[in-house]
Amino acid sequence: MGLFRPARTVTSPTGDYWELYASKTAVPRWRERDYDDPLLFPQAAFVALPLMLLAFLWWSVVVPVARMAVLLPIAVARGRRSRAVRIEAVTNYPEREVLLWTTTDDQLDGVLDSIVAGLAEGKIVQPLGAVYSGLER
Amino acid sequence: MRLVPWLGALARFDVPIADVERLRFLADGAYDLVDELPRGPARAAAWNAYVLQTYADKLLVANRATHRVRSETAAVTETLYRLAAAWVARARLLAAGAADDAAPAPPGPLPHWHTPYRCQEDLAGMRETLEALRIYLAYDLQRFPLDEEELPRLRAALDAVDAKLETAHGLWVPRAPAELRGGIGAALAAGLDGAYELGRELARLT
Repeated sequence: MGLFRPARTVTSPTGDYWELYASKTAVPRWRERDYDDPLLFPQAAFVALPLMLLAFLWWSVVVPVARMAVLLPIAVARGRRSRAVRIEAVTNYPEREVLLWTTTDDQLDGVLDSIVAGLAEGKIVQPLGAVYSGLER
Repeated sequence: MRLVPWLGALARFDVPIADVERLRFLADGAYDLVDELPRGPARAAAWNAYVLQTYADKLLVANRATHRVRSETAAVTETLYRLAAAWVARARLLAAGAADDAAPAPPGPLPHWHTPYRCQEDLAGMRETLEALRIYLAYDLQRFPLDEEELPRLRAALDAVDAKLETAHGLWVPRAPAELRGGIGAALAAGLDGAYELGRELARLT
């Protein structure tokens, strides 16, 4: 069980290659501001551009890193205390898709087997002993 | 009383249990009436009252540690108590012959939650309720002489309730994350609906 090494891998009948990761830690999402500041005064671009660069660094690097630095230890501590396990099935081609299930540590192997068997047949299963939360792109 | 959950309850502006608990006496006799009445519409109404009262009581007991309940739990519990009282009144009218089965009745289905994730305490209350109903139904099914056509169907309905309870037990862990609580809550809600329906059917059989 770990965040960096897949617990299982499987290829579906359509050739999609899935890696299944099982982890007790729900890694917080990397969030940055997803809109650009409008250039309000184009005639003052020589002042605005450095400010926009600073704003970009602040909102897209500093704030997300600080957020991650706070939330990640909390997520790890929470995961260590919990008996719940997240299973993520990840495929990166033709586009990245992540399927998420949550189960308990004592049912992990059986649930992984069911998911692998389902994906090998091209199905997304909802095994007993796990909750399927859906697809993320 | 544990300090951290109690502070959490205060921060959420949870409702004091006493405010809801005073309603539990509205449905006086809800626990006994179902066993006192012969099978038929009156007993079915009494069964409804029994389920609703049991559900509300178990929810409050499960939340007793903080002496407070979340506002949605309070709203559902209040509805359960008021419906239980309405069904007790209807059962008594039907038993006395003062009303017939076709007369307007209180709403039939169990009140449902309006949010997908229940807290651990609410889930404990739902599970306790389902376990109590399951025991009642298994005993009722065993003691009532059923013809061979009815019995397999009713047993299958009880098996479906068991399966939902089993699903909830399988997912039950301390400090469950929201995803698991959602799955447990859905399984328990489906099990409660099934048990409620099966009990009503058994109560009507003659």
